[in-house]
Amino acid sequence: MSDTKLSKDRPPKEGNSRRRVLGMIATGALALSGSALGLLTAVFFKPRVTYGPPQKFRVGKPATFTSGSEIAYQKQAVLVRREGNQFAVISTKCTHLGCTVNATDIGFECPCHGSTYDRRGSNVSGPAPSPLAWFLISLAPNGDLVVDKDKKVPAGTYLEIKA
Amino acid sequence: MSQIEAPDYERLPVKPDKTYGLMCVVPTRSEAVNVQTEKQVLAWPDGLIRYVLLFLVLFMVLAVISLLFNAPLEEPANALHPPNPAKAPWYFLGLQEMVSYSAFWGGVGIPTMLVLLAIAAPYLESKPGGEGVWFHSSRSAANWIFLGIMGTLGLLTLIGTLFRGRNWDFVLPW
Amino acid sequence: MQSVPHADETRGKSILHRIWYSIFRSPPLPVSELDRAQSVANNFFLHIHSAKVHERALRFKTTLGLGLMTFFTFIILVVTGILLMFYYVPTPEKAYDRMLDLRSAVFFGTFLRNMHRWSAHAMVLLALLHMMRVFLTGSHKSPREFNWVLGVFLLLLTLFMSFTGYLLPWDQLAYWAIVVGTAIAGYAPVVGDQVRFILLGDSQVGSEALLRFYVLHVAVLPTVLTLLIGWHFWRIRKDGGLARPREDLALAPAPAGTGSDNAPEDAPPEKEER
Repeated sequence: MSDTKLSKDRPPKEGNSRRRVLGMIATGALALSGSALGLLTAVFFKPRVTYGPPQKFRVGKPATFTSGSEIAYQKQAVLVRREGNQFAVISTKCTHLGCTVNATDIGFECPCHGSTYDRRGSNVSGPAPSPLAWFLISLAPNGDLVVDKDKKVPAGTYLEIKA
Repeated sequence: MSQIEAPDYERLPVKPDKTYGLMCVVPTRSEAVNVQTEKQVLAWPDGLIRYVLLFLVLFMVLAVISLLFNAPLEEPANALHPPNPAKAPWYFLGLQEMVSYSAFWGGVGIPTMLVLLAIAAPYLESKPGGEGVWFHSSRSAANWIFLGIMGTLGLLTLIGTLFRGRNWDFVLPW
Repeated sequence: MQSVPHADETRGKSILHRIWYSIFRSPPLPVSELDRAQSVANNFFLHIHSAKVHERALRFKTTLGLGLMTFFTFIILVVTGILLMFYYVPTPEKAYDRMLDLRSAVFFGTFLRNMHRWSAHAMVLLALLHMMRVFLTGSHKSPREFNWVLGVFLLLLTLFMSFTGYLLPWDQLAYWAIVVGTAIAGYAPVVGDQVRFILLGDSQVGSEALLRFYVLHVAVLPTVLTLLIGWHFWRIRKDGGLARPREDLALAPAPAGTGSDNAPEDAPPEKEER
């Protein structure tokens, strides 16, 4: 009901700067801790351990690959290619919608929506928007080849192994 | 509202040091007797009985569909054998169709803009008029834009659902 | 407007009478307008609804019943979904077998799954149609802007709800639909791959993705959806009921002090239905 008449019982609000500053500090502190909690929760949802196939894995000694061979690792969705003494790892995950592409004589073909790539992994036709990724391949101290899918390299980057 | 903001203090003095509450309810035929309430009907039973009937009809329709058609179940998931074509659920096939033209714009750009546009729509269309009337003439521009967008999305969804076959090539569904 | 029966009124009445009034406060089949209004206003589940409705809002042509039907499919989905949960295991090894068991070893299992599946499709479709109805009747305009915004979020949640449920049977259809659907999310610039990784809990669709989608599908999203639906309905009442033409609003001004107790603070006393 009559706000105007009741309000004279309350102390005047304006000009009480201490109360306002304290209010602002409290609001700020609440907002800060709230967003900190939000951030923690967001970090919580990012797993540190995954249970699927690992991103970094060994594929065996260089000698197990014959020159000119292309071996597909379907579970990890990569293909290891050897040309002479050069090794490269190309992703077989289609850049369109994530299906696994198959190697053909002239490159790669996606069975889902028909995207094709040349032997360098550049997208040639179909809906694929970008080339296939190339991953880092390196030599472990014990002589095994190691593929790291977390590290991308420019297309055409080969690892030279002195035989 | 106005009569609440400016009470008739002369006739009905309001004392600031008192609180007021509802003291009794007078039994009458109608709760309020002004003209505005004339077209009002009681939610119980006029509304609720209709809701219950609507529910029963809907339930029966869904039950009949469920008895006649089995939910699809294909072979177990196999990450090594992608089907051709691999399709998202039907309500995303409009997106998938757009993705086949432009990856970023089809999958992210346009959908984001559409959602923002939908949220902004009532604030953009601020001129009053035409509320509660189907296809009101004063809103035909807005309605046509809306129908245009929904129609395009519907068409893309339809193409993605029925007219896309192997290799996402255009096929006829019959 | 509370009507707690006086102790005197129930004294000497049968125990059933006293139990009924201890719960409901108004007669089982109310006849007077006051009792009828109170049986809505004093009921926990119905009080979100206004006690009175404009007769126009109840005509089928006004809404085509689309919002209500969306809500009803949600109710059906919650019930069938909870029943299905009793026989489902969210692991890649077992999920598909449980689908087969649902067909062969669970009484009513096929019907339950069918009902859940078709109701889910119906809910997405009905929500879209409801959105079209609201726009084409201009019902999203002031003062109902925010309820429209809530509706947009409800639609997005419904889509996400359906999408997370799509993976659970763990068949080819489910698996590749989610591979393709999450790949679309990966197209977002900068954060796309991160979003996809967090959503799947891994770099590809596997056991983590199944678990995450399951938790989202049966716990997180239904809770958020239920709260937003409640908010959405409550706003209908607070925004003065369903939108209706000015001719119907511009009637004689209410005489002072005759506003109904059930009226929203700010609107003429009328309302309802979605």
